[in-house]
Amino acid sequence: MFVLIIAILLAWWRMAKGPSVLDRILAFDTITVCVVGLIILLSIRWRSLYFLELILVASLLGFLSGVAFVFYLEKTMDTHPEEGAPPDSKATKPSPSKTP
Amino acid sequence: MTDILTCMLILSGVGLILLAAIGLIRFPDVLCRSHAVTKGLTLGIFLMLVGLWVHDPGPGKGLKIVLAITFQILTIPISGHLVSRLALQKNLPRWRHRPVDDPRSRN
Repeated sequence: MFVLIIAILLAWWRMAKGPSVLDRILAFDTITVCVVGLIILLSIRWRSLYFLELILVASLLGFLSGVAFVFYLEKTMDTHPEEGAPPDSKATKPSPSKTP
Repeated sequence: MTDILTCMLILSGVGLILLAAIGLIRFPDVLCRSHAVTKGLTLGIFLMLVGLWVHDPGPGKGLKIVLAITFQILTIPISGHLVSRLALQKNLPRWRHRPVDDPRSRN
């Protein structure tokens, strides 16, 4: 149980520090799954059967909020400009896999 | 026997979730982070739910646990895929270091 709390704290750190919004979405997914794991551990400790619906509701909430955020950002987020070539690789031809 | 199996499943699931969180901290890029988080969280939560099922099997409980396992396995990779596809579309800064053996980095 303490391991999951440590994982939640690490994800919080990434959520506070993350350079882009997508890092924060990934950290939110991690926190949701950690909360589901904590519910599983509490359900084992208290030998109760009513937490299974809570597991379903928590996972559904995390997934739907993440997907809604991604589809919202797909419309409104601005595209980063193409990065310049790094200075040590001027002789190499540009790779065709780079996104236009 | 059941207790030992439950402990092994739960502990490996918790360890995988912790590894996913450490990968979320340590990796340099959105794509690398989504790689670590998606795989680690999927297998970790799968092992934890199987451990819960092994610990207390029952007819009504098993159905709900199978439903939860199916839902998690379906949704976590979809979420990671959407995030990484958006990162590729929006051209976020990527990790540019090449490995030493890459022939493109010699000339």
